[in-house]
Amino acid sequence: MDFELTSEHLMLKESAASFVKKEHSFERLRKLHNDPLGYTDDVYKKMAELGWMSLIYPEEYGGLGLDFSFALGLLEEFGRGLLPEPWLSTVMLGGNLVLMGGSESQKEEILPEIASGDLKMTAAYLEDDGMYELNFCSVSATKNGEGFSISGKKIFVLDGCSADKFIVTTRTSGSVTDKEGITLFIVPRDAAGLEIKPVKTMDGRNACMLEFKDVSVPESAMLGELDHGLPVFSEVMDQATAAICAEMVGGMSAAIDITCEYISERVQFGKAIGTFQALQHKAADMFIQKELSASAMYYAFASIEEKTEDRAMAVSVAKAKCSAAYLDVTKTAFQLCGAIAFTREADIGFFLMRAEVAGILFGDTDYHLDRYATLKGY
Amino acid sequence: MQVSYSQDEQKFRDEVRAWLKENTPDEIIAQTLGGSTLDPELQKKYHKILAEKGWIGPAFPKELGGAGFGEMEQFIFNYEYSVSGAPRLKTQLMSVGMIGPLLLQFGTKEQQERFIPDMLSGETIWCQGFSEPNAGSDLASLKTKAELDGDELVLYGQKTWISIADHADWMFTLVRTDSSGRKQQGITFLLVDLKSPGVTVRPIEALTDHAPFCEIFFDNVRVPVANIVGKMHDGWNIAKALMQHERLNAFPIGELVYAVETVRKNAEKTKFRGKPLIEDPVFRRKYSLLEIDCQALLDTFFMLISQLKTGTAPGPQTSFLKVYGGELYQRVMDLDHEAIGSYGMSWYNEEFGNDVHQATMGMINSRSLTIWGGSSEIQRTIIATQVLNLPRK
Repeated sequence: MDFELTSEHLMLKESAASFVKKEHSFERLRKLHNDPLGYTDDVYKKMAELGWMSLIYPEEYGGLGLDFSFALGLLEEFGRGLLPEPWLSTVMLGGNLVLMGGSESQKEEILPEIASGDLKMTAAYLEDDGMYELNFCSVSATKNGEGFSISGKKIFVLDGCSADKFIVTTRTSGSVTDKEGITLFIVPRDAAGLEIKPVKTMDGRNACMLEFKDVSVPESAMLGELDHGLPVFSEVMDQATAAICAEMVGGMSAAIDITCEYISERVQFGKAIGTFQALQHKAADMFIQKELSASAMYYAFASIEEKTEDRAMAVSVAKAKCSAAYLDVTKTAFQLCGAIAFTREADIGFFLMRAEVAGILFGDTDYHLDRYATLKGY
Repeated sequence: MQVSYSQDEQKFRDEVRAWLKENTPDEIIAQTLGGSTLDPELQKKYHKILAEKGWIGPAFPKELGGAGFGEMEQFIFNYEYSVSGAPRLKTQLMSVGMIGPLLLQFGTKEQQERFIPDMLSGETIWCQGFSEPNAGSDLASLKTKAELDGDELVLYGQKTWISIADHADWMFTLVRTDSSGRKQQGITFLLVDLKSPGVTVRPIEALTDHAPFCEIFFDNVRVPVANIVGKMHDGWNIAKALMQHERLNAFPIGELVYAVETVRKNAEKTKFRGKPLIEDPVFRRKYSLLEIDCQALLDTFFMLISQLKTGTAPGPQTSFLKVYGGELYQRVMDLDHEAIGSYGMSWYNEEFGNDVHQATMGMINSRSLTIWGGSSEIQRTIIATQVLNLPRK
């Protein structure tokens, strides 16, 4: 058993930290707040130049071929600085689905383009009546000559305004909650009959609603096998979920640092308010929650990397913990910093906005508690 | 990164598990979670079983009769031991677990030879007498006086909240030998034979109808200066070193896992609307929250062991293990008590079985976890000032 990061891991983490410091700031976040995309392509391109888009993809597809755990340090630093570039959706969802479920020709075509930063992808799977359940899928794909015709609606597609291609979960057989009968298709942004409605999320980033009106796709757009799309989709979702946990832990650390710095300086009743035990004990609780979240997240990463039997459970433990803790930490930070936290001038509020979004993404605490209990068999 | 045990670690775990299964008497498992009500004679008996196997002191050097386990082996052993349902042995906790390692570090050769063999064999039961009626969280304000008279110290005063003092032969304690300087100065760490004239041990009756701890009165008790550990007046530093021995193994994570499993067993037995309580969506959610919190704490132990292996000693941040672990343990016992329904109104029940005793006693006894050894409030202040570096004034 060993959870220590190697010096290579730490080097990557450090270079991510200096990248975020150099290319990004809270000032930039303020400027991007009302931008429709909420990020900029020049920074995204620079990340690609560093090889970060293909970090965990094999070298044969233009990747760096590193272990999954290398993403951990990168994401922690993205989370610390609240870097908004759509790394997670492209690398962990879109590209990862192609890598794990795609044909050789799909991999050869798509992965090098992701690696170079020329192609952005995401996954469209959430629906209005399914909350977070992956097997709830009513968007239909019916056989139509040589290909398929897709109809229905997907909601809150992560980074949906910037993605060039969507990987969509569709129902090809069975009833709406069946685990069998789900098929994945790659749909380009400009497909005829695809309506894209942009959404700004609370954290200043973007998502979209997708309405499919008889969108025709060729059979070659199918990712993996007909009717058997869910296992690979779940596997990829687990990896993306672990990834967002790493980002959340980074965010918690930063929120704690900012808060402690503030209460060490803010003077009331003639002394720094950080000397008061009422505040100190709340700060201690923030630290405790962050530490436990970090451990659960590390365990999830290690389980995925080692492909253990219980990795789905480890991921649900981590997400249930991180979602609750990130919200708890940032709301406490809000309380300790007081009125200033409400302002756009202060940095701390941005973390609460991110916690609200990240807490829901890929399932909230209650969803993962339920999933954990089901996986455990009670 | 590696999440599973190595082959050697797995082999060791299997060996420990198999041995415990074979050699732990049912009567002793039945008393776990009941904690302080554990029969001392039964404890002594099990202590000897472990001692014969050579496993009584997981961290203790082999040449002195301990197990001499490395960090990972210690964790595996302690975890398997308590998850099996075997109780924390007070015969071992205070001796091999606390004063023994301290004597190896600071004791004289004579002290080591005199006390350690009997600790390991289980012949001598030790207790810890630190607290006083007016020195709890503020331990350094202790007042029990010890005056030098020839080559003896003469003790006068009172110690309290001493677990199993009514069965103990010896006590390690802190006494005031000088009041002229700062309160942390002038304290001496002393070993006291409880059979000495002038010692009165009075059990304190607790809510649970048992006496989990005692108070001890010293009325001109004479203790040879040869029983001082370290230097005279330097006891505060010795006591701080003692706290470091606790480190990771102070919190019984395996016992917590055992307790969580007990909740589930009880919630399968108790019926609500004709179905096992565990299937009730509200209870199920409450229970799964405890399970994931418990798992996250276990993951934290794994993280810290990884750090220990590479030589990064955990510092004051381990305070959070005690705070969170203690509070989580209480939440688990609260739900365990809830899971037995009406039976939770009684201390014991022959029909429902021993689970009632575990749930009720365990629920009350678990209150101690956030009080002893530096209360949760003290620990939070340590985290705030020593880990987060918040200003003290």
